[in-house]
Amino acid sequence: MAIEISNRLGLANVKSDFIHTAGRKLEDIHERLLELEAKGEVKVIHIKEENKPIEAETLLGWKKKIPTNKLWHHKSCGQCGNIPGYPVSLLWFMNQMGIEYVDERNQTSCTAWNYHGSGTSNPVGLAAVAVRNWHRAYELGLFPLFHCATTFGDYKEMRNLLVENKELRDEVRRIMHKIGRDLVIPEYIVHYSEWVHVMRFEIAKLKKYDLSSVIATVHPACHTYKMIPEDCIYDKDIYAGKRTAVSTGVMLALGAQVADYSTWYDCCGFGFRHILTEREASRSFVMDRKIRPMVREAHSDVCITQDTGCTTTLDKNQWIGKAMGYTEQVPVMADVMFAALVCGADVFKIVQLQWHTTDWRPLCEKIGIDWKKSEQEYNAYLEELKAGGKTVNLYEYPKS
Amino acid sequence: MEYDENGVSIVPADLKKEIFEEARKDFRYEEYVRGCLNCGVCTGGCPPHRFFDFSPRIVLQKMKSKDPELIWTMMDEYVWACFQCFTCAMICPFLNSPGGVIAILREIAVRRGFESAKKVLKPYSRVLLKLTAYGNQLSPDMIQPDFFPDWGPHIGYASTDLSVKRKAIPMPTLQVTNLAWDVAPETMKELYDIFDEAGVFKIIESVDPSLYEIIQDIVDDVRSS
Repeated sequence: MAIEISNRLGLANVKSDFIHTAGRKLEDIHERLLELEAKGEVKVIHIKEENKPIEAETLLGWKKKIPTNKLWHHKSCGQCGNIPGYPVSLLWFMNQMGIEYVDERNQTSCTAWNYHGSGTSNPVGLAAVAVRNWHRAYELGLFPLFHCATTFGDYKEMRNLLVENKELRDEVRRIMHKIGRDLVIPEYIVHYSEWVHVMRFEIAKLKKYDLSSVIATVHPACHTYKMIPEDCIYDKDIYAGKRTAVSTGVMLALGAQVADYSTWYDCCGFGFRHILTEREASRSFVMDRKIRPMVREAHSDVCITQDTGCTTTLDKNQWIGKAMGYTEQVPVMADVMFAALVCGADVFKIVQLQWHTTDWRPLCEKIGIDWKKSEQEYNAYLEELKAGGKTVNLYEYPKS
Repeated sequence: MEYDENGVSIVPADLKKEIFEEARKDFRYEEYVRGCLNCGVCTGGCPPHRFFDFSPRIVLQKMKSKDPELIWTMMDEYVWACFQCFTCAMICPFLNSPGGVIAILREIAVRRGFESAKKVLKPYSRVLLKLTAYGNQLSPDMIQPDFFPDWGPHIGYASTDLSVKRKAIPMPTLQVTNLAWDVAPETMKELYDIFDEAGVFKIIESVDPSLYEIIQDIVDDVRSS
């Protein structure tokens, strides 16, 4: 049977003056948070001038300040565990731009991947873990930047629950006092992709390669824009403000073509528990609902993600598709990894694509990146390290 | 445990009533269960609906029925199909959150140590151990070909020289193999206190007592270090 292929480019660039109201009558939690602060109920981590904020617009037209400096990196279990180029690319950009930040050992997982997979926690546990990590940023005088979309979604939810429920605040405050901390809540919950989005024109200034022939398909992460949707960035110049603007925005700024595909709204199939213990569901979803539409409808050269679980699921589950006769393959990487790649970051030492399972080499060759040279240098570097050589780090964390 | 012809466990009517009351008393319940037009837009957009016998519309309708018998039919396997993506919540015209309801029902299932929850979570125990004992969910040494053969031959990349490959990552926090990042022991101790106070350890004990024993041994070691 013939496959109908329509290369639907251009929707990403559609502009509109329409402001979403969508019939939703929602309170701006930010205002209520400041009221609680005025009453002395909570402490707030404010975004200050020194954080050099850039303002963005969210789904309902509310303003959200995105801090761009003096940041505390709240890392992701899955990124650090199996996609190390994800956080490294972000730190690489911050070094390029002279951004001040801290990356340290004094951080726990948000524990929300586990919660959504197994149910083995509760709102008090989730909120207490959130406040514990927020307080660590607060005591360092920094603003927390969350790397994982599930952390972002969970922390947005926990912030809302804490603002709306005195009982929860009291219980979390009691636990915080027990561990020598206090109830603090950030003025805004900020995802790294929002930092990338507001910095996209600065990022584009570092571009080294022409991307006009590269077709990207964007997979927006569910927990960025489906959990507490009113607190996610939309832009009237990107998809006419009808889809979240993050990730697509930086791809357009870099000069890539962003192509539409029919299942853009679908999740990746991660399922939190399914990706680990019920993988036949995840891999079927990946191929049937995401990768095949991206390749067959849009001729995608690269799938751009903005989250830990999505990057893992979409990358790791393509090989097994061959068992069903599926030949479609597309490399998968986060927006910040792709941006670093085209801004001259080393393929192996910084973007760390060697950990990915779906072949990314044809993409590098299409862009004009010499990955073979990078591989040779990396292998030589590994030999140096084996012989007792020292790692060349992007950052040294505080020893105390 | 006995099951009916639909594979639903047979339990006393009083327990079914208790379960419904427990869900309804959750402080998030009113936020998640509002009016329902039965329009089905949630199910139309639901990813697991394409692969499982699962429908967020049915979740909402059963909760709205306030019939403990109907609600109980979801407590075994049904609630575990949900992907927790919250597509349903995003697109519901009434701002219901079937995904949120599922989260409440799952919490009840594990808190009460239901056999179905124990069975579903048994293969998940390695992840639970890593998270609760060390403060990270996933570690590089977990990504091995014997556990992920369907991820293709390249997954073996992490099997050889893992420590030197991790050392080559230019972030000191990531230069470990048994954790996603090197969590400080003092930080782990704070997490244990939170888990104690919030009842998280107690939940794990109810759903997997032997795993709980292993976790407590690690916790005791870290606390005494």
